[in-house]
Amino acid sequence: MSPQQPDANPSEKLSRYEPEVREAYARYRETGDVDAVQIVIIAMVREHLPKPSDAPITDEQKLVEDLGYDSLAVAEVVFAIEDTFGLRIETSEIMQISTVGSLKEFIAKKLGPKNE
Amino acid sequence: MSEARVMPTDKKGRRRVVISGAGFITPIGNDWAGVASSLREGRHGFERVEFFGNPNVPVKVAGTVKDFVVESMNWRDWKWPARYEIARETLRGLAPHGVYAICAIDQAAEHAGLARGALANDDATGLYCASAGSAMMLHGHLGQMDRTRGERGNPMGVVSSISGTLNFNLAAHYKITGSVCGFVSACASGSHALGYACDDIRLGRLNRAVVVAGEELNAETLLPFAAMRALSPQSDPNVASRPFDTARDGFVGAGGAVALILEDAETAAARGARALAEIAGWGQAADGHSVAMSHPEGRGLANAMKRALSDAGADAGEIDYINAHGTSTPVGDRAEALAIKTVFDTNKKQPRISSTKALTGHPLSLAGAMETAFCVLAMNEGFIPGNPHLVNTDPVCEGLDLPRETLNERPRLVLNNSSGFGGSNVCHVLRAVG
Repeated sequence: MSPQQPDANPSEKLSRYEPEVREAYARYRETGDVDAVQIVIIAMVREHLPKPSDAPITDEQKLVEDLGYDSLAVAEVVFAIEDTFGLRIETSEIMQISTVGSLKEFIAKKLGPKNE
Repeated sequence: MSEARVMPTDKKGRRRVVISGAGFITPIGNDWAGVASSLREGRHGFERVEFFGNPNVPVKVAGTVKDFVVESMNWRDWKWPARYEIARETLRGLAPHGVYAICAIDQAAEHAGLARGALANDDATGLYCASAGSAMMLHGHLGQMDRTRGERGNPMGVVSSISGTLNFNLAAHYKITGSVCGFVSACASGSHALGYACDDIRLGRLNRAVVVAGEELNAETLLPFAAMRALSPQSDPNVASRPFDTARDGFVGAGGAVALILEDAETAAARGARALAEIAGWGQAADGHSVAMSHPEGRGLANAMKRALSDAGADAGEIDYINAHGTSTPVGDRAEALAIKTVFDTNKKQPRISSTKALTGHPLSLAGAMETAFCVLAMNEGFIPGNPHLVNTDPVCEGLDLPRETLNERPRLVLNNSSGFGGSNVCHVLRAVG
């Protein structure tokens, strides 16, 4: 099965995010800038925290143990990432992700160096 | 603390069940005082509506819920009164009527004098929900499934849409550990939830129950009833809902949620809670007749009334007030009038009868719980709601006492009727306390 294509107008999906997140997403779309993807991923991880927090999110933090994610929240953030980046992430792949860093790394690898 | 005491057991030796709190999110008010004012003054909660921006849709009026914004499928767009706190971890799985329901439960718990968290983890509090689910959320989620040919689905799609959505979410939100269940008997659902909650307390399975019923008002919920020709096509909010009037032409849709706190009388008394009313008895019976139409003589409803009276150990002649199901449909109101005549001797003292759907419209799964709460309110505020939109009473109602104006009489023994699709009829008898 082929992966989903990103929406033609993704700005609607990210309309609730801060301007710098939307700009980062636009930059990724134009240049494939992997650093820009990281900004979007962190914003999405924050957006799906079951208990909202402004505390910094670091690569070492575990989604479940440190950030309070439950399995539904993990599914939700993966769903949002799939939608935004036009990816397909298998359940078996989700099981391998435990930290924020491993999520970022996994998405970067999925997207490839230039996702043009 | 009330001076009025309720004996711990009834004549049959069963634990008595009292209502100690009520919470309202309804078209005619979002708290006790607002609802009391609307009921007493005969003020309806209808507004003009237009679905799909299409003036050709034959539904022009509805019983809207005020002070909430829940039209979007995305909870991030929703707004509700600031006094209610709903955490993100709860919101993510809710349907729009779940928001109403949480506000109603928080209000009812506060009304009952229960501290935040008092419902949680006690193994003695149960949750009884009435909801048909969210057609809007289901539509949206299945639309996505169709568009992606089955490859994509929202992780919260199931719990935010199917008919158990209230049970799933509210049990988790309030950390209910006594029991949790849901009822889907259409317009009798709220009354079923109330009845079975009452029985579980009577049987000693629980000491307390939260009964909550909710319904959304949107195109997905309401317009399918237009296809059945069940809705009033009227555009004037003052005449659209006219239960028992000769010119009635269908029901007016409505949304909202109502919650009731039920307790066994001893549990309520032990914590100094004020009993607002006692659930003296309930009964149910089926029509065995049609998928959607009432039995022409209201056979099942009459049996349900008789069973409720018998369960309460009350004679028909003792009933002061009947809150009728009275949805304003030609067939349903006629059947109910005939059923009441079967049970109540028109040559003897008659109970006052009104349908408060003249003011609220018909909120489907919510109706039975909402109208029970209205009865509790009327018993405590000392009035009987009238039938303000009744102009020409249907001759089938001859001999029945349908006052147009609000009566300043305190009803002490009240019967509340509900009927749902498939001929499901449920009635409750409520007794005033004090």
